[in-house]
Amino acid sequence: MLKGAEIVLQCVRAEGVDLVFGYPGGAIMPLYDALEGSGIRHVLTRHEQGAAFAAEGYARVTGKVGVAIATSGPGATNLVTGIADAKMDSVPLVCITGQVRSAMIGSDAFQETDVFGVTLSLTKWSRLVRTIDEIPQVIAEGFHWARSGRPGPVIIDIPTDLLKAKKEFSGPVPVKFTPQARPAGAKAEGAFTDTIVALLQRAIRPVALVGAGAKLSGAIPELRRLLDDLNIPTFATVHGLGAVPPRSTYYLGMVGMHGTRAANTALHETDLLLVFGARLDDRVTGEPTRFAPHAKIVHFEIDPAQLDRVRACELPVIGDLAETIPAFQGALLHASLPDWSNWRAVACGSERAEVDPRGLAQPTMRFLDELFSRLPPDNVVIADVGQHQMWAAQRYRSSSPRGFITSGGLGAMGFALPAAVGAQLAKPDTCVLCVSGDGGFQMNIQELATVHRLGLPIKMVIVDNKYLGMVRQWQQLFYERNYAETDLSDNPDFVEIAKAYKIHGWRLNEAAMAEFPVSSETADLLENFLRSPEPELLVFDCAPEANVYPMVPAGAALSEMVFEDE
Amino acid sequence: MQVFHIRYRNVQGTLMRILNAISRRALDLTSVHAEAAGQDHAVTVQLEATPKQIGQLYREWYGIVDVIEVRSSVTPPQQGEPEWAPLPPGSAVAEPPVRAASA
Repeated sequence: MLKGAEIVLQCVRAEGVDLVFGYPGGAIMPLYDALEGSGIRHVLTRHEQGAAFAAEGYARVTGKVGVAIATSGPGATNLVTGIADAKMDSVPLVCITGQVRSAMIGSDAFQETDVFGVTLSLTKWSRLVRTIDEIPQVIAEGFHWARSGRPGPVIIDIPTDLLKAKKEFSGPVPVKFTPQARPAGAKAEGAFTDTIVALLQRAIRPVALVGAGAKLSGAIPELRRLLDDLNIPTFATVHGLGAVPPRSTYYLGMVGMHGTRAANTALHETDLLLVFGARLDDRVTGEPTRFAPHAKIVHFEIDPAQLDRVRACELPVIGDLAETIPAFQGALLHASLPDWSNWRAVACGSERAEVDPRGLAQPTMRFLDELFSRLPPDNVVIADVGQHQMWAAQRYRSSSPRGFITSGGLGAMGFALPAAVGAQLAKPDTCVLCVSGDGGFQMNIQELATVHRLGLPIKMVIVDNKYLGMVRQWQQLFYERNYAETDLSDNPDFVEIAKAYKIHGWRLNEAAMAEFPVSSETADLLENFLRSPEPELLVFDCAPEANVYPMVPAGAALSEMVFEDE
Repeated sequence: MQVFHIRYRNVQGTLMRILNAISRRALDLTSVHAEAAGQDHAVTVQLEATPKQIGQLYREWYGIVDVIEVRSSVTPPQQGEPEWAPLPPGSAVAEPPVRAASA
C-alpha cells in the first residue's frame, strides 16, 4: 500500500523529473513528508512565485518540464504569475498544489482557493483530482500536455486527504498517456511548399522573422540551413535571439519596439514575410494596421490559436517546424529563385547600421558589452523586465539558442533572479548571468537566500538607475515628465543587502565606462566578478534618465523609430 | 449574429474554457445551450463578433485539449436548421487566404 503522496512522486519521477521547486504548507504537507527517498530533489525557494519562476528557468534552459509545488490558498495563488508567464512564453511547467480536504472543498475552508478556477484561462490543461485512483493518469496526462505541441503550463490540484490516503500501487511503471485523436477534417489539407516557392519567385524584398518556436521545435540546425540557402534579410524576436548566428551576413538583429533600425526598416519594406515560430505580438508589430504594409505573410506556427491575433497572414503553415522547415527546404532544391542581392545590399547595408555600434554614448550598453564579451563560451544570460532587459537584448551577440532568457510575453518583473536559480541548477557548469533592474530585483530579492543556501555561482547584475526606468522613460516621452511613483531614489544599498545574505557584492559606476577600452582596474573587476566560483552581485550605478533607443512609440509603425531624446 | 456549435469531451473545465474564450474578449453571449451528445457533449453559443474575432475564437477553441470539433453558422437555430460549416484554421480576413495548409 502506498500513500497518494508517494504515488504522486513516483509518477512524477517516472516522467523523468529529478528536481522540483516549491514551498511547503498545510495542505501539501503529505507530499513533503514523502519526498525523502523519492529520488526527487526539492529546492526550497523563499516564495512560491520564486518556485514557479525557478521551474521556468529550469525548463527554459533545458527544454524539459519544470515542476513547482505549493500549498493551497495563498501558496497556490502565488504561483499564478509564473503560470501566466509560462503560458505567454510557451514554457512546459507542471504545478502541483495541495488543496483542502475533499469534504471541505467549496466551504471557504482555511487556505481554500479555487486555484483550478483561478487558472483556467492561464493553463493549457488542469485537473482537480477527485480520487486517489486518478493520480497516475492525471500526472501522466498533465506532463503530456505540458510538453506537447506548443508547450505550456499545467496545474494539478490534489486535496490533502487524497495525498494521505492509501491504495495498492503496482510501482514505478510509468503510465503511458495516449491522447485521443482529433477528427482528420479538423485541419485543412494541402501542400504548402509549392505556394511558398511561388510566393518567393514573385518576391522582390523577402525577409525572414525568427521567434521562440524555432528554439522550441529543436529545429535550429534545419532553420539555419534554410536561412543560409535563402540568404534573405533575417531578424529575430526577443525570444528568437540566439537562433540565428549573429555574424550571419543576412542577420539584422532584433526586431520590434526596441529593435534595430535595419530590422525594423526591412520589415516595413518587405513584400514577403516568412515567420518562423513567432506569434507577431504587438511589441513586434508596432501599430498592427501599419505592420509590414506591403507584405504577404507566410506564418509557420504550431499553434493555430496564434494565427491572426494581430495581423492576418496569407498562408498559415500549421505544424512543428521540425517537419515544415525540412519540407520547405526540400522544395527549394528544385526551385529557381530570384537574385535578391540588391535588396540584401540595401537592407543589410551600412546606411542602416547602428548609429553607435560601440554604444559609446550609452554607458549601460558599454557595460553590457564589456560584460558579455568576457563571458565564457558556455553561458546563459537571464534578463528581468525593463530598460536593462532591452539593452541586454540589443547587445546580446551569442548564437546559443537557449542562451538568452527573459519574461517576454508577460513582462513579469522579478522573473530573473529565481529563473537564474533554476537555470544554474539545470546547468551547474554554465556561467549564468542574471541582469536585473533595481525595481525588478526587489520583487524577488528574497531568493538571494536560495542562492546562498545552495551556493549557486550565479552572477547577478543590478542596473541601478534608481527609477522604474522603462515606466519613467514612457512618462518622460508621453506623460510630460510626470514621474508619478517611479522614483526609487531611496533604494537600499544592494551591496549591503547582499552582504546580509552572505553574498559578496561589487559596485561599479558608469563613469568607469567613459574610457574606451575600459581601465585595467575595471577590466579586472569584471573578470573577477565573472570568474568567481561563488555567487556574486554587481551593482552598476547608471544615469537615472537614460533611455532605451531605438524606440517605436506606441501607436507608431516600425518605420517611425525614435533614435534619441528630442 | 453568429452561432457556434462546439463538440467536446465533458471533462473538468472544458466548458468553462470554451466560455472563457468569449468572456476574455468582452463579447456578450446571447444564448448558451450545453447538453450531452452521444458519448461527448455539445455546446451551442450565439454571439455577435467581428470576422477577426470569429477566427480567433475558432482557433482558440480548437486549441483547447478536449474540444473535438467547432462548427459555425450565421443562422440562429430558431430560424431553421442552420448550415453548419467548419471554419478554416487560417485567417478570417477580408481577402481569403492563398491556401490554408498543414504539415
